[in-house]
Amino acid sequence: MDIAVKLQGITKRFDAFTANDRIDLSVRRGEIHAIIGENGAGKTTLMNVLFGLLQPDEGTISVNGKPLVVTSPAVAIAEGLGMVHQHFKLVPSLTVADNIFLGMEIRKRGLIDRKAQIEQARTLSRKFGLNVDPAERVAGLSVGIEQRIEILKVLARNARIIILDEPTAVLTPQESRDLFATLRSFVEDGMTVIFISHHLEEVMAVSDTITVLRDGRVVATRGKSELSKRELVRMMVGRDVSFDRRPRSPGSGRAVLSVSDLWARDDRRLPALKAVNLSVSAGEIVGIAGVAGNGQTELAEVLSGLRPASHGSALLHGKELLEHSPAEIRARGLAHVPGDRLARGVDGNATLSANMLMGRQRKQPYSRRGLIDWRAVDRETKALMQRFDIRARGPRDLASSLSGGNIQKVVLAREFTAGGDFLLIDQPTRGVDIGAQEAIHSEIMRQRADDKAILLISTQLDELAALADRILVMFEGRIMGEIDGAAMDEESIGLMMAGIDPVAAAEV
Amino acid sequence: MIASLLPRNLRRTLAGQLLALAIALALGAVVILMIDENPLRVFATLMRGAFGDSEKIAGTLLQTTPILICGVAACIGLRGGMFNVGIEGQLFLGGFAAAWVGFSFALPPVLHVLVAVAAAVAAGAAWVSVPAYFRVRFGANEVVSTILANYVAVLLTSYFTIFLFKRPGGWSETPPILPSAYLPELFSFSRLNIGLLIGLALAVATALFFRFTTTGYAVTMVGSAPKFAEYGGINVRRAGFGVLLASGAVGGLAGGVETLGVHHRFMEGFAPGFGFDGLIAALLANGSPIGTIFTALFFGALRAGSLLLEVDTTASREIITVIQALIILAVSADLLLRRKGDRTGGRRWKF
Repeated sequence: MDIAVKLQGITKRFDAFTANDRIDLSVRRGEIHAIIGENGAGKTTLMNVLFGLLQPDEGTISVNGKPLVVTSPAVAIAEGLGMVHQHFKLVPSLTVADNIFLGMEIRKRGLIDRKAQIEQARTLSRKFGLNVDPAERVAGLSVGIEQRIEILKVLARNARIIILDEPTAVLTPQESRDLFATLRSFVEDGMTVIFISHHLEEVMAVSDTITVLRDGRVVATRGKSELSKRELVRMMVGRDVSFDRRPRSPGSGRAVLSVSDLWARDDRRLPALKAVNLSVSAGEIVGIAGVAGNGQTELAEVLSGLRPASHGSALLHGKELLEHSPAEIRARGLAHVPGDRLARGVDGNATLSANMLMGRQRKQPYSRRGLIDWRAVDRETKALMQRFDIRARGPRDLASSLSGGNIQKVVLAREFTAGGDFLLIDQPTRGVDIGAQEAIHSEIMRQRADDKAILLISTQLDELAALADRILVMFEGRIMGEIDGAAMDEESIGLMMAGIDPVAAAEV
Repeated sequence: MIASLLPRNLRRTLAGQLLALAIALALGAVVILMIDENPLRVFATLMRGAFGDSEKIAGTLLQTTPILICGVAACIGLRGGMFNVGIEGQLFLGGFAAAWVGFSFALPPVLHVLVAVAAAVAAGAAWVSVPAYFRVRFGANEVVSTILANYVAVLLTSYFTIFLFKRPGGWSETPPILPSAYLPELFSFSRLNIGLLIGLALAVATALFFRFTTTGYAVTMVGSAPKFAEYGGINVRRAGFGVLLASGAVGGLAGGVETLGVHHRFMEGFAPGFGFDGLIAALLANGSPIGTIFTALFFGALRAGSLLLEVDTTASREIITVIQALIILAVSADLLLRRKGDRTGGRRWKF
């Protein structure tokens, strides 16, 4: 068996915390090897060790059968390794070709030979079927294209073993499929792909071998065919987790939100919402499905008063909420879990207490006559941390020191306890661990049982299938159709998400 | 309670700043050697000029006062995410307004001071209100508009002084203010006055305000995470306008304190650079009003010490400006490095 990469007994500690604990890993040449685990399981640390960005405390690395001390990425690159990071490192003002050859410019008489760079970049992109225009500037390209450029950067440095860290986190489903096809063509070409993810579906779809990490240790390495999704989840989380449809009883059905003929523009002044009609009743979860960027964000912003509508009406408890400030809409019963939680949902530089205080700073017992009682705030924060299982040392921790899932729980805790009876929940589990996802889903169902009206925006169909009573599909700012959540049919939702009316499609 | 007003990582901050200071002084020593002076002698003279005896200490505190008040003005802006670079101009207008009340009206002693100070505060706030309005209404960058407003303020007060209210005689200055408008002095041997106490009280009050009031919380949130604040229902525009207005009002107060306490008249160019020194003091203190007390004291000592430097050594006062610039460079480099290391990104300060 031809082993491309072999890690033996890799241990990496950060102070008292052991990120990698005696990890053994062998990756065969010509396979796609997925490394899967929850946030904080040690996946990225392990790959950074392999790529020379971190030095292991113990253990050995061998690449292509040759023992290696990877003191820096340069050593790794010289051995044919290449890494595509989760966050792209491109220079927006330069062209695609300039970015690809950054640091290894092709020179002619001491000057950069732009023509040759563009030519070579074109050859490379053609050879691997990565369709990009090398003369274009990076600014303004989509993330999918940016990722192709990152991969081309790696290929231009003659990598034969390619590491990708959470490559699909920023991609649309279509872009992900393209990426997987590319990765497939790499291994057919004899290259090796190591691919980090916490997404079950894509790991099952694309990889040959799967290594599961949990708490810095290897749980198992198996061929994909030997594994089911359920087993994989159990290995990742350490217990059984169910994402089946949640049982429910009917709510009171009292109308809470009713939106009619709503239009709005996006930041580029283009129409983002077109004649949207929808209603949400108490004790009901209405799901909004759709590929990201089809007006869902704008819908949430308009309903929460953060973006002006250009036309239409939205009644909350029978009263118009458009043209009102976020504070007024909140006072009338809106609670909002924003999709962009790091920008909108929290202040990372502030403490958990300061984050919990937002929106309730003028209420007792948090403040009295304009003076904040920080002790009361801390006490309430501690109580919420307990109830929502927020893992932090205490209420004075900075929000930015928490993991994505815990930050999301901070937002949920604040919004679900603010007293609103209309919950606007945008992407509740994006980037959140599976174990935490389950807990968040349970909390949303608890809110439904409390007869709250819930509008749930999600790009993940399985999430909507588990939670929503009705699902509306958005495409280019329009509601394409409605589907009963209990009888969700992925086929017709998929068609609607692509802008095709399933009834019309069936007739053709 | 006071402990909670200090920055979280106080020790790291102090260690970094002291190292930066040492590097700056070493570089300053090189510059001093280049002009054939003994760096040790220059530094010793500086120290003696700033803290040599009680008179010199009072002189240092006298220089510290306007820098401190201007620094608090800058802190207020920074906390709300607003970079008020127009403190210099607000200081000039505040100074002029206070002097005008001081020499134009005859009022009973305490009332006279209060009215003059109120005039200074109002003038500072009024002066910043135009850039503030443009900022919140049209999104005009307040850094540019407040810098430009400085030139207008300095020249406008010059015009007032030379053409409208000039004292008979040679100097371009207004008539002296009435003694009823003098700020009480603290000691018999110095012009040091209760302005210092006003500055200290203001710094502590500002720190308490931001820490313990709901309005202070709202303003802090607007400054550090504007989108989060907007989402949470805080009126971001109103907060921004209020912050600039308050910052300008305190800038005006600095000018009023300077004319009523020190010069007892308004003179052309009466307080060169105090507004900018205050801004820098606030930046070096990372926007903390309590920290600004110390950075302002430091700048005050440099200014006071440089007076003796000119008398006792061949080094000119400008050498102090050079050293000051080196210190600012070194300390801000330290701050920037630290902020970069924090990775979470900093405040919305736009340089």
